[in-house]
This record gives sequence, C-alpha cells and structure tokens, in this order.
Amino acid sequence: MAVRRFFSQACLYTKGRQAAFQWEEFLLLEAGYPFLTLVFYCVLAAYSFRTANLSHWVAGNALLLCVNTCLFRLGSAFQGERRYGRLRSILASPASLLAVVLESGFFPMLLSAVTAAGGFCLGSLLFGVTLRHAPWGLLMAVILTAMMAMTGLGLLLSALSLLGDGMHFLLNVSQYVLMIFTGVQFPVDQLPAAVRWISGLLPLTRSVRAMDLLLAGDRRGWIPLAAGEAALGLADCLLAAGLLRLTARRAMKTGGLELF
Amino acid sequence: MTWQVLLSTMLLQMKQSFVRPMFRFCLLANPVLNTILICEMFRSSGRTDFAAYAVLGAGLMGLWCCICFSSAGDLNRERYMGTLSLLFAVPAPVETVLWGKILGNTLLSLGTLLLAWLTAGVLYETWAIPARPGWLLLVLVITILCFLQVSVLTAWLLTLSRKTTLYMNCLELPVVFLCGFVVPVEELPAWLQAISNLLPPTWAVRLLRMAVAGVPDENAFWRCLGILAVLMLAAGLLSRRCGRAVDRRVRVLGNLEVC
Repeated sequence: MAVRRFFSQACLYTKGRQAAFQWEEFLLLEAGYPFLTLVFYCVLAAYSFRTANLSHWVAGNALLLCVNTCLFRLGSAFQGERRYGRLRSILASPASLLAVVLESGFFPMLLSAVTAAGGFCLGSLLFGVTLRHAPWGLLMAVILTAMMAMTGLGLLLSALSLLGDGMHFLLNVSQYVLMIFTGVQFPVDQLPAAVRWISGLLPLTRSVRAMDLLLAGDRRGWIPLAAGEAALGLADCLLAAGLLRLTARRAMKTGGLELF
Repeated sequence: MTWQVLLSTMLLQMKQSFVRPMFRFCLLANPVLNTILICEMFRSSGRTDFAAYAVLGAGLMGLWCCICFSSAGDLNRERYMGTLSLLFAVPAPVETVLWGKILGNTLLSLGTLLLAWLTAGVLYETWAIPARPGWLLLVLVITILCFLQVSVLTAWLLTLSRKTTLYMNCLELPVVFLCGFVVPVEELPAWLQAISNLLPPTWAVRLLRMAVAGVPDENAFWRCLGILAVLMLAAGLLSRRCGRAVDRRVRVLGNLEVC
C-alpha cells in the first residue's frame, strides 16, 4: 500500500511539473541545458589547463549533471508544497516527511541518471575521449552511487527549507560549493590545507576519483571510493531524517511555516 | 513626468530586487564563488592574461546572472502580482517602467564587478589594475548601455511566454559561452564565432578586456567600439519594434495575463 502510494504520488508530481511544457521545452531543460553546461566547463578547462585530454572533466561534469535534479528538486520540494498550500496538511498528517521529499524527486532523479550517462557519452564523442575499453557497467554503478550520495545531501538541505525562504540562495551556493570542493573542475590538492577537509564531507569527491580510476583502467581502486560514497549518502539520509523532525517541530512551534 | 516615473521605478525595483534570495545570490555570492572557481582553474595555467579572463569574466558572469534572473523576468513577476495589465493601461509608457526596472537592476548588478575584483585581490593577490583607466571608464558606461538594451529586448520577448522561468534558466550560460566572458571567442568553432560576432555583448567584453589588459593597436579598440555602436543601434531598433509589436499583440488578443 505504502509503495503504491509512493509511486502514484511520484507520478502525480512529475505530471504536474511537466504538464505545462511542450516536448521540445522538456528536452531543452532536461537535456540541452545540462549538456551545454558540460560543454562550457570542458571548453573552459581546455583553455585554462591548456590540455587536450579532457576525460576527467567530461566524467566529472557528467556527474555534476545530476546535481541539478538531486539538489534542486529535492532541496526545493517543500517550497512547492508551501506554494500549493499543502505544507500544513503534510505536517499535521502522519505522512513521512522524508517520503514526501523523495516522492517529488523520484522520477526526475531517474531521468537525471539517464542525462548523466547520455552527457558522458556525448561529451566523450565531442571532446575525443576514448571509450573503447570503458567498463560501462562499473561506470553506471559509480553514477548511481554518486546519485545516492547527492540524494542524501538534497534531503538534508530540504529540511532547512522549513525554516526560511532563502532556499534559492542556499541551493545555488551549494552547487558552487560542489564545483569548488569536489575536484570536478580542478584538483582538490590545489585548495588551501585549512579547507581541504570539506571535500571529504561532500558527495561526488569520491565518485569523481572513482570515475578517473576506471577510465585509467584501474578496476579495483574504485570499490573503496564507491563504498565510501554510499556510506556518506546513507549518513546524510539518516541525518536528514533527524533534521526534518527538528525543523518541522521548530516551524510548528514558531508558527512560521508560511511567513518568516 | 517620464523622468519621475523612471526614477521612482528604478528605486522601487532596487529595493524589491534586493529582498529576493535569488537576486542576493546573483549579486553577492555568485561573483565571489565564480571568482574562486575560475581563479583556481586559471591559477596554474601560466597565462599572462589571467586577470583579464578570470577576474573580469567572473564579474561579468555575475552581472549577466543578475540580469537574467531579474530583468528578464520582471514583467513576469508583475504578471503574478496582477499588476501587469495596469502597467499597460496607465498613461506612463510601459517602456519607461521597463527601462526603470532594468536600470535599477543593472546599476545594482555593477557591484558584481567590484566583488570579483576584491575577491581576486584578497584571496589570490591578483589586483587587476587596468592598463587604460580612461578607456575602462568609457567602456563601462557603454557596457551598461549594451546590457540594458539586451535586457529590454529579452524582457519584451519573454512577456509573450508563461514559461519565463524556463527560458531565464536556459539563457544564462549560452550568452556567457558565446560572448566570450571567460573563454575567448576565438577558441570556439568558426560557425559559433559567426553567431557570437552578431551579439553586442561580445564586442563589449572585447573592449573591456582591451581596457584591462591593454592593446598594442589602438585602432583595434576604436574599430571594436564602432562595431559595437552599430550593433547596439540595430538592437535598439529591434527592441523598439518588438516592444510595439508586443504591446499591440497583447491589446488585440487580451492575453497579457494568460499567454
């Protein structure tokens, strides 16, 4: 029953969000724009690092493609509910807040896995990355692990949206924090030692390294990295469950669900 | 009367924009984070034009981000507040109100250039000193006018759609990419360079870069300025025609609120 409800709600969210779009607009937003982002950062890397070997940036930026969905869709889930006037009902009912956030992001997240894989293939074609001997199954496993970790972060951030209206600010800052600290655009070693530890706490850092190892032909080194990424995602999900309870209680106490 | 409308709209817009979290991100956080990201990417490149690309590029990206996520969507916000039809009905021309809004946003957005410069100076000890301060001042004024014109044209076009948010999101990066904000246009394929050279911001960015990094051939600067003037004139005429066409269309079809 709970599983059926989860999927029916997830379908409803997706229909509601996409109903206003024509298929070409849907393609523009879900595939065209993320792919352009990948191309932009790869061209910037080629120019700034003066290199023709862009495999690291193609793989890293393909992983970043799922940021848009995992981070923004999950992080802003409650904002949508607030706008529809449903937030009070959700908090008053025994429904799980975590499930509500996941329902809103389930299908977009699946789509973003396809976008990330497609972006990786197209980017590789465009920038001449050799994929003849690429272990496709393992690469897909790394993408899915990265998405799981990003889901944890998205859930964690969604809890904060119950306390204020600054989610656009927070989510956009988080996107840049990921670009700066995870080693996607430049090596983490370049960061000052005082802030380098932040990289270890963020999703994607390990996945980017795992992708690099796999593309370099190392079939073993990626396992501890992917396991670390999965553990981080799980820890973030648990933390998010606790934080959601706390923020919901605080929002109800202060009566600041709709106005702050 | 027109000046009063322009000034009061501009001041009100500045206040309204600043309270929006997304605008605060574009104005305050974006230039700082972008400067860090781009400076780190350029740090070990050994390029001598580091400041002209990293610092100026980050500042311009912030400026364009503010324009994209505010000016382009301001008429849509009026639509949601239910005041858009009033703007078309009052005696003051809607164009004046639009210019007031965009002027307010653009003036606020200039802070992104200063923030990018300060971030690069404080964190990376790269105090970008312009080679030709006089040129820089002149080009800054022209760049403001150029971005104002592009914003007005975009705002008019987006008035015709109810999916402004979608197009706003899709507009940011292509312009950054095509107009050479952080990567020179010459690095792009020839067919993209042809498109790029038709966009006024491309020439404004070239002029800004010349003013910051210096240029051995002064004639190249004045040639760029001439091309920019012609393109801005064309954009101005297009924007005016577009404004009139939109104004007529929404009055005839009566679909201003539900395009």
